[in-house]
Amino acid sequence: MASLFSTFRYSDGLTVVGISFCTALICEAISWLLIYRTTSYKSLKSSIDKASKKLETMKTDSTVAAAPKKSKTKKIDRVETSLKESSRDLSLFKFKSGGVVALVLFVVFGFLNNLFEGKAVAKLPFVPARIVQKMSHRGLQGDDPTDCSMAFLYFLCSISIRTNLQKFLGFSPPRGAAGAGLFQIPDAAKTN
Amino acid sequence: MKEKKSVKSSDKHQSGHVSSFKFAKLFDPEAFWDKDQLGDVLHWIRQIVALVCGLLWGSIPLVGGIWLVSFLLISSGIIYGYYAIILKVDEEEFGGHGSLLQEGLFASITLFLLAWTLVYSLAHF
Repeated sequence: MASLFSTFRYSDGLTVVGISFCTALICEAISWLLIYRTTSYKSLKSSIDKASKKLETMKTDSTVAAAPKKSKTKKIDRVETSLKESSRDLSLFKFKSGGVVALVLFVVFGFLNNLFEGKAVAKLPFVPARIVQKMSHRGLQGDDPTDCSMAFLYFLCSISIRTNLQKFLGFSPPRGAAGAGLFQIPDAAKTN
Repeated sequence: MKEKKSVKSSDKHQSGHVSSFKFAKLFDPEAFWDKDQLGDVLHWIRQIVALVCGLLWGSIPLVGGIWLVSFLLISSGIIYGYYAIILKVDEEEFGGHGSLLQEGLFASITLFLLAWTLVYSLAHF
């Protein structure tokens, strides 16, 4: 098995993916322990879901009506404010407990950095934009922009594996939460 | 004329990923969809397309930034075709085209880049 592994010039890329996958599992286990199984999280998530559904219904009714009443508009504002407050409380709650996850990610990143410093772990099939090259060519010798550093591969692994793992396990943030925009990035990945 | 369906709020639907979900519903234009359920389905379709394209692009290999753009067009086209033509949903009930097309978009881009890069590196060097 080891000799098969060594025949690939960029087998280190598989190592990075493997370690990222294990790290994602550990981080989700820690998150479940500290965040997802707590009653505070469950009640906040439930209130956000209810408030966002209620808001949707109220907004749909007000657009259908020819002239929405002032009281209706006020009610919508109240529900929106309540939703924003719950979303803020949820973010704050996750942030406080997410420190442990951030520490694990930091340690793993440091470990991988020591292991693969100055080494191209993969070959990119495209030339990345200059701003992306700051990460994709980080710490590498030479001028070949298609050499891929551990940092960029780890970034790709973090986002793709953790997002899908959270989705699969049902730990994704509620859709109604404020700030869930175009890019739904897992919270701890932002600390990388 | 395209028939539009409205969202039916289901009391039986439980928030979270576990729900009584029948596979046949995926291709049934008469089925009623909850926003969360439809969003999840679109997310996973994008991930599958990203994985398949990444494996394919990396194996052939297809090289160049243009193939990232082509992946985006193909995956968005598949998603649009699925909810607009196969399911015939009323996108206004689900937050508009933007909301439906952005489900799982960023994760699919990173998954595609990961698969494409890995297969390309391992198979051709």
